[in-house]
Amino acid sequence: MKIEITDTRITLKDSSESFSILEKPVFPNFHHNVTKRPYISTYYEAGETIWGHCQGGLELLADFCHEDPYFGCYALLFRRLYPLLLSSSQAKNVIAYGQPANCGAYKVFQNFMTFLQEGNALTALAQSSFSFQVLSEQSCHAFLYCLDTHPALSAVCDALRKIRPGGLFLLYTLQDAPPAQLIPLCEKGERDCLGPCTVYAFTVDEALSAFACANSSENLIFSRAEEILKRAGDLQNLIPAMLAGASLSEEVYSIAALILQQTEEILLSIYDYLENDALPVLTNALKEAVLNYYVGVSGQYEITTYREKLTQSSEAFFSAVNAEFIKES
Amino acid sequence: MNKYRMCMIPAYPLENVQLLKDRVIFPYVCFRTFGESLRLVTKSTGDYPYLSYLEGAELVALPEEQPHMEAAVHYVTEHVDEIDLLFLFGARGEYMELTHIYKSLRPDGIIYLKLDINIDWANTLPLFHKPFSDFLHSCDIISCEGRRLQSLLYKKWQRHIEYIPNGVYYPLYPEAADVRFEEKENMILTVGRLGDIQKNSLLLLYAYALAFPNLKEPWELVMVGSVTPEFQTDYEDFCNRYPPLAPHVHLTGNITDKQRLYQYYRRAKIFALPSRGEGGSPNVFSEAAIFGCTVLTTGVDAAPDMTDNGRVGRISSDIEDFEGFAKELSALCCDPAYLARNFHEIRTYIKEFFDYERLASRLRMLVELQALKRRPS
Repeated sequence: MKIEITDTRITLKDSSESFSILEKPVFPNFHHNVTKRPYISTYYEAGETIWGHCQGGLELLADFCHEDPYFGCYALLFRRLYPLLLSSSQAKNVIAYGQPANCGAYKVFQNFMTFLQEGNALTALAQSSFSFQVLSEQSCHAFLYCLDTHPALSAVCDALRKIRPGGLFLLYTLQDAPPAQLIPLCEKGERDCLGPCTVYAFTVDEALSAFACANSSENLIFSRAEEILKRAGDLQNLIPAMLAGASLSEEVYSIAALILQQTEEILLSIYDYLENDALPVLTNALKEAVLNYYVGVSGQYEITTYREKLTQSSEAFFSAVNAEFIKES
Repeated sequence: MNKYRMCMIPAYPLENVQLLKDRVIFPYVCFRTFGESLRLVTKSTGDYPYLSYLEGAELVALPEEQPHMEAAVHYVTEHVDEIDLLFLFGARGEYMELTHIYKSLRPDGIIYLKLDINIDWANTLPLFHKPFSDFLHSCDIISCEGRRLQSLLYKKWQRHIEYIPNGVYYPLYPEAADVRFEEKENMILTVGRLGDIQKNSLLLLYAYALAFPNLKEPWELVMVGSVTPEFQTDYEDFCNRYPPLAPHVHLTGNITDKQRLYQYYRRAKIFALPSRGEGGSPNVFSEAAIFGCTVLTTGVDAAPDMTDNGRVGRISSDIEDFEGFAKELSALCCDPAYLARNFHEIRTYIKEFFDYERLASRLRMLVELQALKRRPS
């Protein structure tokens, strides 16, 4: 993949395909330039114009990143970012997530942004979804998100919530198709694609904000907590029945074990947010105790110890679930 | 109850002696419990006389001309329809292609991986190497041999890991059925490669010397196993340094005759495990426990599991603490009532939680859970 720069056009090329990144504006649209900087040189040839800086910036991008697999994505991102940055002289706050802070593309973007307006800021976040938590809601004008770094719907929605109404959300990836859980979102965006590089662009509006809110990690945690409590409720019926010595079929024990395994999986899906990170292993210990108890009952072994272990494990599990998700006042 | 066609493939060719170790014994007990058939697929390393202990199991010898794992992949490709449950042993990169092929051809098949690792090993696994993480991901059931390790893996891998310890297959130990505490002698026994760095045999030798003045009755120290030249020198130095103790310390050398080894387990009241590290609970621990020996161990990963958190044995936490080990040793030797009571306690504990037949029944339930999970709700 390479960038071809002429006096009037900047094009991204990949073997036989090409994608137009920018065209030099013509005079009739000159009044669209609401930034302090001129699009193109007017009376005098002195001083650098936006167009000239674009050309230089994309040359630099090619120098810095031609071996980076995301090179094409960066060029496509620049294309989408450009109109937003030129939309006014108001300082813009752009957040980038997914590449290391010393990524060459970030330097090029920041350089161009500073040229347009000294107060423009591009902030590169650490490669952890926790880094979103330091950002205020609706605080940035654009968010560049590398989908391959953290392809989870909840994280993507957390990022979306940080963008101001009318702001720009750019998802980029080297994958042909987004993960299944992200397809409904990606279908709402505009798709730019060349070779292996794809960018999905979204303008944040009410509908998108509502979607992000419903699928954010905060909401995910609430809904997962509900699922866990529902399962804990089911177990609170099943386990006392086992301990009471009721004659139960193997299926009952299997169902209890399945509920516990599902609980483990749900807990692991929100593992980063758990206060008690031993909860999944406590759940596994209860599953083990249920299965051991069944092995004892079905094998007609002495079950006193199995009963004790089941009692202890269930007490530990329920107490930990209560402490994590209910919390006494 | 569903019956499964099982197949065990080791990462490296099996040796005869391994047929009676956990990598084969556990799949074999699973086969006896809920299997239709069991194939042990390996390149041959010689004769397999121990196969006679594994009635019903079939050993499939892979062709000599191909490397072991390449031949195993070829075998699985050819026989995938005959494998419902695939047993793997060890978190080894050698399995990456095998699991990929098996799951591609049999998405409904079940892979069970017995990890056989300790915490140090777990910390070196290349989890960020995609083919390796895909291999772990393709395993439907993964178990480890210690609870401490299990907790660590939950935090590190963020997936469910079952705790299935190295256990005991009782039919291999008929001699343990009628052992009585009254037959036992004041004997401290250890079994292992003496002088091996991991086995830390010197700790036991000098802890015994430190404990000796506190003992109210004479106690013999019997050390069974092959002896490194370095340890032979250490032993001779020890005898020169403590002449009164020398007659009480016995190096038997390696004992291949199981009956003779079991006689030592029968006679010993205390089994000492001074190791620096073990992948789960070692086989010698469970052998000692079924013969009713009270176990004194250093704080290896599986120490809390082996002793039920110190209830049916004692733990000297620091693996290099001679005085701590000696203190626990003399306390045990001076508490005959505990040793007598614990003779029954440890045997019951092992039967309840380390019996491979019971562990296989639990694994059967876990395997059935996989089918239940896949069933449309």
